[in-house]
This record gives sequence, C-alpha cells and structure tokens, in this order.
Amino acid sequence: MTLTTKTIELEFERVIAAAVDEVFDAWLDPAIPGKPWHGAAKLIFAPEVDGLFYFRTHRKEGGGGEISHYGRFTAIDRPGRIQHTFVSPFTWGLESLVTVTFKGKGGDTLMNLHHGGLPDDEKGRRHELGWNYLLDVLVKHYAGQR
Amino acid sequence: MIGKLAACGPARFTDLAKPFDVALNAVTKHLKLLERAGLISRERQGREVFISLRPERLRLVADWVHEYERYWSEELDRFQGYFAARKKKS
Repeated sequence: MTLTTKTIELEFERVIAAAVDEVFDAWLDPAIPGKPWHGAAKLIFAPEVDGLFYFRTHRKEGGGGEISHYGRFTAIDRPGRIQHTFVSPFTWGLESLVTVTFKGKGGDTLMNLHHGGLPDDEKGRRHELGWNYLLDVLVKHYAGQR
Repeated sequence: MIGKLAACGPARFTDLAKPFDVALNAVTKHLKLLERAGLISRERQGREVFISLRPERLRLVADWVHEYERYWSEELDRFQGYFAARKKKS
C-alpha cells in the first residue's frame, strides 16, 4: 500500500552571534537551549550518521499530554550541514526531513533550517493552540472597545 | 506595525510610522496592503484618522500556520537569543 499525501516545506533563517563551528557544535549539544533535544522529558541521542534520536516533550497547549519524536541522522558534515529525519504525530508517523546549514557571515553564522515532507493537513495546523487563545483575547479586547 | 497595533490599540498614521526609518510613502503603501488584506481598518475621528487592527482576520491566518512553523520559530529564537545574551555578557 502506498500512502500519498500533499506535503509542504518550511524554511527559516537566523544570524547567530558566534563562529560557524561553535554554532554547529551547539546545535548538537542538548544542554544549549533552542533545539528539539534541549529540555526533553526523556532523551535518547546518538548524533552520528545512522544514529537515532528520541525525545519526549510535554505539550503546554491543546490540553497538555506528551509528544514523542523520533529521527535518524542522515548527514553530519562539520561545520556546514546537519540532516536528519523527523517523525512525530504531526507527520502522521511518516519521515519528514530536516536540513540545517551553517555559513560564515562576518564573525557570525548564517543558519538556515529547512523542514520538508510535512503532511499538509489539519493535523499539522494550529487549531485550538496558544496563538489562537491570544487572538481570542485580542478579539474580546477589541470587541469590548466598540 | 501589526505588533504595535496589537499591543497599544488604535494609533494615528504618524505615530505608527515614527519608529520606522523609511519614507512615509513606503509606510502608506504597506498600510494599504494590510488594509486590502482586511488586517487593519481606518476610522476618522474629527481631523484625525486612527488605524486599528482587525484581529478577527488574523485568526484566519493563524489557522493556516503549521504546527512546525511555530515550533521552529520559537526554538530558533531561543537558540539565537542564547548566543546574543552570551555575546552581551562577554
């Protein structure tokens, strides 16, 4: 059986105030904040090609609960590129692909994160989550002013 | 501009344009775009025109934002913030 679904791709860019090799190493260090494997309730982490990771996070929105994420490193090219698969309930258990690249920019690092192969359906969309709650507050605030 | 309208409520054109280092006609152009998208509205009060956010339209946008859009944005902001704070300290 082949499961076909429409997919989307997300792309993010940040300039990080540190040298490329330092930023690359930090991305693979679970102690540093701002990556999936930081602050997980449970973490299994083998950052090498064909190494696996698992982390469980507590979900703050949408009624709480815990979410498990799995993946497999497919490329670790220090200091320029890290690639791994990413599986979670939001990917329907299918493998999506995350590619992170690091390039020098002056003394800083231009970092690009591409997340492709994400199912484009309502499961991944943000219904009933935090931002909508905030927008509800705003709607009520403005409604009260009229 | 949307952030300012959300945080501070309705504002005059000049107050909205003030923090941005761009020509006033660029701000006008931007506001026209937001108005066409239904994200802001204008209301005349005496001689002044006040611009307001229409958050009910933002909700439509929020419904189309992917879970991972929010997730990676927050994570990367934290990562960037960690290094920025460290640089500030040194």
